[in-house]
Amino acid sequence: MEFPDDLRYTKDHEWIRDDGNVYTVGITAYAAEQLGDITYVELPEVGTHVKQGAHAATVESVKAASDVYSPVAGHIAEINEELEARPELVNESPYDNGWFFRLDDVESVQLRRLMDAAAYRVYVEELTA
Amino acid sequence: MRRTPLYDEHVANGAKVVDFHGWLLPIQYAGILEEHAHTRSRVSLFDCSHMGEFILKGHGSIRAFDRLVCMDAAGLPVGRCRYGALLNEAGRIVDDVIALRLDEDLLYVVTNAGALDAVRARILEHAPDARDVSESTAKIDVQGPGACEALMAAGISAARDLRYFAVCRTTWKGAEVIVTRAGYTGERGYELYLPPELAPKAWRALIAVPGTAPAGLGARDTLRTEMGYPLSGQDVDESRTPLEARMDRFIAWNKEFVGREALVELKRRGGYPVLTAIRTRDRRAPRHGFEAYADGVAVGTVTSGVFGPSVGYGIGLAYLPDALPPESILTAGPRSIEIEVSELPFYRQGSCRD
Repeated sequence: MEFPDDLRYTKDHEWIRDDGNVYTVGITAYAAEQLGDITYVELPEVGTHVKQGAHAATVESVKAASDVYSPVAGHIAEINEELEARPELVNESPYDNGWFFRLDDVESVQLRRLMDAAAYRVYVEELTA
Repeated sequence: MRRTPLYDEHVANGAKVVDFHGWLLPIQYAGILEEHAHTRSRVSLFDCSHMGEFILKGHGSIRAFDRLVCMDAAGLPVGRCRYGALLNEAGRIVDDVIALRLDEDLLYVVTNAGALDAVRARILEHAPDARDVSESTAKIDVQGPGACEALMAAGISAARDLRYFAVCRTTWKGAEVIVTRAGYTGERGYELYLPPELAPKAWRALIAVPGTAPAGLGARDTLRTEMGYPLSGQDVDESRTPLEARMDRFIAWNKEFVGREALVELKRRGGYPVLTAIRTRDRRAPRHGFEAYADGVAVGTVTSGVFGPSVGYGIGLAYLPDALPPESILTAGPRSIEIEVSELPFYRQGSCRD
């Protein structure tokens, strides 16, 4: 399973990527696989502020609904509107076309405390052991 | 954890296996949505070997069993199947069952895995000669518009002449196989009851037919929910009567059965909640356990809820007040999603009666 090196990861299986002046958030390939076929994604409203670890989105699969939390505090600058019609993008492309939302006004200190790819890989291996 | 005779086939085919009432069964192979679509358009195989089966031989045993169920099992013509429920004294549903009349003096009864101990105790108490053959019976459901052709290609040609809800016995590879034209998907389909040692051979023969693929419990759940078929242990259980479960048409009021008096009394009093079709207006799904509210007042509970892949919106079943007209708007669950009273089946293009 792929966990790109340029991302940071949370224990709830979100990822966040520094894209210059914004930070992009999504869920990991592991989370997408655990959820199975994703059928609906509810995204936050652009312009709202989210706290670190706060509920920011909901993802529904055929089997269940799960909460997605913001990896860091920030301001919702953009959401992936394509997920409304094509939620399966999260399964097909979790780190690229399946992104959830973009944050700005992020405190980099919060970001640095998140897991890097190597640490997250170990974390997932422990969960699946 | 128990394994069905087909466990090795599931693992070899890459299934994701889960605990279902103490049985290790595939939840999915390729993915629930893909298996769902495949069943609606081609043919899927489901391993249902966890289910319970009983044989009642002789008119005395059949009559004794008939007293335990709300449908007319004793009056079932040879070669036909009938759906109904096994009730307790309070008229509540111990399990939903299907009776197969194999012969004038031979009734075959199919039950679910979850309540098998309670069902067995009741049947044996009333019909001591009944035989529980669950352990020595494997069950494969062959479901989809191409199911008949798949069975013919695998050498089970008896399927060809079966009408909807008919049953016959045939021989395959020297062993007796019971074949019903029934299922839990809304598509044209057949259920095979066969000896466990024959099951892997039959499974492989069917999988080898082009267009046939295995499917798991996940697709089984979305398929049956689109048809509004209740799931035993979830939509119907010992807290509900067949009147509440909207099984009125499966109640034979003209015969005596355990729980009948309680049902007569409940029907007289009225005012009970009934299992009602609900849907959302988008892709969000209601979920099992959601409370439903009308104008902020709790009015009922969702017992089944999924995204309906063939209809494209969230669908489910909920116990709601009887008087709610279609298209009544309610809210449900922690996020107060909007649900609307709907009608069954959700999916109307099924091939089950074709």
